[in-house]
Amino acid sequence: MSPRLLLRLHRIGLIAMAYFGIFYVLVNSAAFPVIAGKTRASQEAFGHSVTVLGATFSWLLRLPVRPDTAAGYLQWRGYGFFAILFAAWGLFSACGAVRRDEDRGLVESWLSSGISRLRLLATRSLFFAVMSAEIVTLTGAAGWLGCLIAGTPAAVGGLVGESAALWALTLACFGIGLVVSQVVSDFRAAASAGSAVLVLMFLLDSIGRSSVHRAPFTDISVFFLFNQSNSVAPGGTFNIAATMLLFVIVAVATIVASLGFVRRDIGSGLIRTRPRRVADAHDASANPLLRIPVVRGLWIRRIGLLSWTAGMAVVAASVVLLVNITATFFASTPSLSPYLRGLPGDVHTVLLALIWLSFAQALVAIFAITCVSRWSGDDSSGVLEMQLAEPLPRWGVLGERAAELTVTVTLMSFAAMAVILALAPAEGISIDVGRMLSSTALLVPFALTFAAVGSLLAGWRPRVAVVVLSTIAVISYLVFELGPLFKWPDWADNLSVFQLYGTPLITSVFVGGLIAMLAIVVVGFGSAGVVLARRDVAA
Amino acid sequence: MTSAIVMHGLTKDYGSGHGLFDLDLEVSEGEVFGFLGPNGAGKTTTIRLLMGVIHATAGTATVFGLDCDRESVAVKREVGYLPGELPQFGGMRGSEVVAYLGGMRGAIDRSRVQELSERLELDLGRRFREYSRGNKQKLGLLLAFMHRPRLLILDEPTGGLDPLNQQTFHRLVDEVKTDGTTVFLSSHVLSEVEETCSRVGIIREGRLVSDMTMDNVHELRFHEVVIEFGGDVPQAAVRAAAGVEDVAVEGRRLTCTVHGGFDALLAAISGHTVLDMVSREPSLESIFLSYYSN
Repeated sequence: MSPRLLLRLHRIGLIAMAYFGIFYVLVNSAAFPVIAGKTRASQEAFGHSVTVLGATFSWLLRLPVRPDTAAGYLQWRGYGFFAILFAAWGLFSACGAVRRDEDRGLVESWLSSGISRLRLLATRSLFFAVMSAEIVTLTGAAGWLGCLIAGTPAAVGGLVGESAALWALTLACFGIGLVVSQVVSDFRAAASAGSAVLVLMFLLDSIGRSSVHRAPFTDISVFFLFNQSNSVAPGGTFNIAATMLLFVIVAVATIVASLGFVRRDIGSGLIRTRPRRVADAHDASANPLLRIPVVRGLWIRRIGLLSWTAGMAVVAASVVLLVNITATFFASTPSLSPYLRGLPGDVHTVLLALIWLSFAQALVAIFAITCVSRWSGDDSSGVLEMQLAEPLPRWGVLGERAAELTVTVTLMSFAAMAVILALAPAEGISIDVGRMLSSTALLVPFALTFAAVGSLLAGWRPRVAVVVLSTIAVISYLVFELGPLFKWPDWADNLSVFQLYGTPLITSVFVGGLIAMLAIVVVGFGSAGVVLARRDVAA
Repeated sequence: MTSAIVMHGLTKDYGSGHGLFDLDLEVSEGEVFGFLGPNGAGKTTTIRLLMGVIHATAGTATVFGLDCDRESVAVKREVGYLPGELPQFGGMRGSEVVAYLGGMRGAIDRSRVQELSERLELDLGRRFREYSRGNKQKLGLLLAFMHRPRLLILDEPTGGLDPLNQQTFHRLVDEVKTDGTTVFLSSHVLSEVEETCSRVGIIREGRLVSDMTMDNVHELRFHEVVIEFGGDVPQAAVRAAAGVEDVAVEGRRLTCTVHGGFDALLAAISGHTVLDMVSREPSLESIFLSYYSN
């Protein structure tokens, strides 16, 4: 197995983590003096506010240590959050490496080429270990650079220790993913079972942090072990024993997974459900939904649709519940006032609008990117060829894709809106329903803007579509979030696609932005139609 | 007889000598045409040009008078298509794949689906990812045949099928042929073409090297003959005989190949003592290979 092939197999996770890890850490550390102020007094006041806020978020992140410094803030805001992110990356990478590649027949091909099962598993694990070490190191280097830019350099030793702990956590979750992937027989089941294990471990740690009583078995939670180190923050410690224990978990999990891999049949898991004895079916499915344009695609992807809708509703509920504490934080942190952009109205409503709608924009943009990824995949996997083998025009395929995305984003957005409207009164937040409706509806053309650009890219160069679109989305989001804070000129702010959305929940609809979005949608999908009609499919 | 498929100077140039070049070919309605060639010869490229999935560099292709490029939607209303490899439909059940792709075409003839799945012994209740390669191929055949198309375009249709299901496939082709359906199938297995086709085209390195009826193909047959003489070997007379080639003598044993009838050879050896004589008919595979070796 060549490193190039392995890089290709892990490319999406690697690109995403490299992008996110480096940018997130760099921005949060470098922006510290902008947010906290440049004087010692303002930074101490900021630190106090973060400590109060951190206590509220203790169920999610460990308590902040010295948040009045760039390094302490980075420890809390960056590495605290990374525990969740890197753990998920490790888990899903392992499930993909075992189950997804097995579903695609790759594992069988590799084994038939003479490589042993143990060597295959060791190669995949070693590759992930090396690549994750690189990402963690780059992230740490970005943090060091950010703190340097902020004028308060972080201790290199502390960053190295925290990076080691983060690497150990990532590998431990990769190991857990390897183990559960041997037990069940497909990717979805492995990802679900692995997620359940990690959520349980996270809750054990969370309960131990936010209550006086420690839950049983907390000590074996990988999150608990990771959180024993906080060496980036001044005065923090690097817990060698806890980190070593994480590496022990990595070793044990890898050995258990290896034994399971050697023992089980390829294509099935250690747990095998007895197939039900049912008569063979010889009829087409009677499900009428599979025959209706647009609806058929929604039905096939119904689990994803429901997951996205539920996820967006949960985020909406969380935002509503956190608006009051966030308002207090903003009130005590004058440097954050640029975020409010002199917007009129009650601060709670303004914050709900800013936080929720920026989350909602990011989520629908990510959803659009996942759709573009699928469209690109349909081309190379032969699905598009099979669709075009039916009497369906190419523009029809394109139109159905756009309609499917429109319906899904509408469902996701309006479900989240319903949750907000239901919860806001109890939190004392007044919302103009008309504006809420228009701001929710505007998420649809916003998502279609990304989809249109992505569709054009997928029609032109399917293999680079996701990377280019993700880059546009990340840069747009960073410009949108950081522009007000760093007081960038208007022309720079206007480079962001997110700017086109405006602030429809607080002010009126940004008509110019809406027209621009619709123009991009029409031109993007129109051009995509022309490109798709002219090019060879799957060539 | 009207033409179902007409290709004129059809070219798809991928560069570096790869692709399809100046293909002129007509397939009549009701004909079963076999398109033969080794891997990479241009069979799938031809099929994908007919399906309008890729665009020609030059030339034209029509199906029932409809341009495969400009009127591809209308073409596909008349066509049942089996690609070289079915895409992954993951967790969808076979019955759902049928309903999904059939639904794109319009109404589904459920009795036909039932008949085909029973004859092919395909359980449509199972998930696509659980299907073996052969079952995936059966599903592909069902999808191609289920709407009783006027033209079937099949890319290596028996790949992965066991011998019994290959026979079922041959019977299905015979039946649709009786109904007047045109079949255009690609293969690199001559015995398969021999079983089902009335005409065959042989493609090599993107160019059609032969287009003949199966009767013509059979005429190309030759016999490998081994004769054991009791006395002198009439080598000169045999070499001079019409239709006799590749003459070789080893002791009193003569080997040669005979094209056409045996009369000339028998005349050449008459009067000589023959202890043993064996004649073997090579398979069509050998004829096929001889095309490529040249």
